Amino acid sequence: MTALTERATTAPHLPHHGGPARAVPALLAAVATAGLVLLVTTPGTPVLVGAAAAVALSVAELARRLGAQLTAAAELETQRRDLLTRGRSTAEELEVATRMMRARAQTMTSVIDAVTEQSIIGTDRDGLIRVWNPGAERMLGLPRADVVRLRSITDFHAPEELVGEDGPAPDDDARFADLVHVAQAHGSDVRDWTYLTADGRRLTVSVAITPRTDDDGEQAGWNFVGTDMTEARAAERLKDQFVSLISHELRTPLSSILGYLELVMDDEDQPLTAEQRQYLTTVERNAHRLLRLVGDLLFTAQVDAGRFTLSPEDVDLAGIVRAAEETARVTAAAREVELTVEAPAAGLVVRGDALRLGQACDNLVSNAVKFTPAGGRVTLRLTTGWRDRDGAAVAGPAPGTTQVAVLAVSDTGVGIPTGEQGRLFTSFFRASTARRNAVPGVGLGLTITKAITTAHGGTLDVTSAEGRGTTFTLTLPM
Amino acid sequence: MDAPVRVLVADDEEDIRLLVCVAVRKAGGTVIADVADGAQALRCARAELPDLVVLDVFMPEATGLEVCEALRAEPATAGCRVLLLSAGASPDDIARGLAAGADAYLPKPFTVAGLVAQVRALAVGTPS
Repeated sequence: MTALTERATTAPHLPHHGGPARAVPALLAAVATAGLVLLVTTPGTPVLVGAAAAVALSVAELARRLGAQLTAAAELETQRRDLLTRGRSTAEELEVATRMMRARAQTMTSVIDAVTEQSIIGTDRDGLIRVWNPGAERMLGLPRADVVRLRSITDFHAPEELVGEDGPAPDDDARFADLVHVAQAHGSDVRDWTYLTADGRRLTVSVAITPRTDDDGEQAGWNFVGTDMTEARAAERLKDQFVSLISHELRTPLSSILGYLELVMDDEDQPLTAEQRQYLTTVERNAHRLLRLVGDLLFTAQVDAGRFTLSPEDVDLAGIVRAAEETARVTAAAREVELTVEAPAAGLVVRGDALRLGQACDNLVSNAVKFTPAGGRVTLRLTTGWRDRDGAAVAGPAPGTTQVAVLAVSDTGVGIPTGEQGRLFTSFFRASTARRNAVPGVGLGLTITKAITTAHGGTLDVTSAEGRGTTFTLTLPM
Repeated sequence: MDAPVRVLVADDEEDIRLLVCVAVRKAGGTVIADVADGAQALRCARAELPDLVVLDVFMPEATGLEVCEALRAEPATAGCRVLLLSAGASPDDIARGLAAGADAYLPKPFTVAGLVAQVRALAVGTPS
């Protein structure tokens, strides 16, 4: 390259194609020819004639070679100019790319530095910290300069949590392997870890662990994005304890109320008058109402805490729907609401938790009866249908569709204003129509029904028109 | 005719304790003692060797689960039938009760008829 450059810089002295470059060998050839003619025309010198011919030939050859070299030099010059142009262009592109990279890095740094409520910690593949944002400084109490390239991420994790299948990790490498093994296997891992701060506090931090890749797509290390959940988790624990305490403290007196009521009402030796029985039946009904409320509160707390589990088995949904109708029949009759069931006589089997599905159906039916004025109608219709991958109803089987059980509970009741329908499944929400019509309830039934449906992989939808009625559609995979 | 099943009742709530005693008698059993905490329940069980112990789970001094485990651990009382009563009604609560060695678990609130049926069922085949 250096030689090319040096030669190229002298190029302006060389003749160019079609100009003086071609003139030089032609001039030499003319000189040789003139000499030859001079020698040949000199009499009596045959030896000289032969020598002159040889010289002439040599000169011609030299001229030819010189011409070829000049042509090659001209081509090299062209290439040089081409390379220079390309080089300039590449240099400009490189500069633009470098500027963009700098800008991108600056953007990334400013974004990461702007995060003060979450810790963002980047490590190399061995756990040595390379990135430590202000959120990490704030959360863990150490400045970037004291950590980056000096400390391992495992220094900030409670050691008792870094325990693999073979027991406590013996060294830092093993501890780091324990920390990232789930993310290594599944691509990411989000869960609570205990972080240790510089001043000795222990924080409950929800950490998302993901692999970090370089420009070639190779794994360069790991990212740890953490949110301090210490106070939130403590509040959840308090709420759990509170709900558990309330549940116990309410169930125990209810046990006494219901138990002694049963003794009195079933005492064959001292039968009650009709009036006494009516009063005590009212007491019993309200005790059961309180009991349901306690159960609903406890169940909602379990759902919120993510501790809601199912006991799946093959369940005849048609039987459950008929049982729900039976449960609501007395109340519906008392309210002069017509209650009808349309369900496959042969049954309709789904995979699910019979107790919870019964609870969901009971909630929908009792709601429908509650919200329907006298003379109205509640219909329970159980059918099969098909859904596409997005959950939309389709006419029949096709690639990507699945068969589902569809329970539609329709009423001709007060309806739900359109603007409130999106909040129906929120705990303790009560529609304005419910409050206006003094329909009893606390706003947990639909939350629970939705949670049960979702846990079964199903959906719960609502369509309603104020003053005309409501249809809840519960769809479950078969 | 078989001798009535001998039952020890332990619950810190007096109203519930009396209700359980009524149910035991309705089931044809004899209440040999009713006590208000886990420590008393254990002492009484060791001394009286009842056929059936009806234990509340949440009691002072020792929980029903702890009493149940202690009874199972001692040869003299290991054969006692144990019925746990509790306001904890979740599947986890029931599983914990059975894991502690209980023969049956009845969540509160229970019906008297249901408790009578449980006592009768557990009385079948007791040494008495």
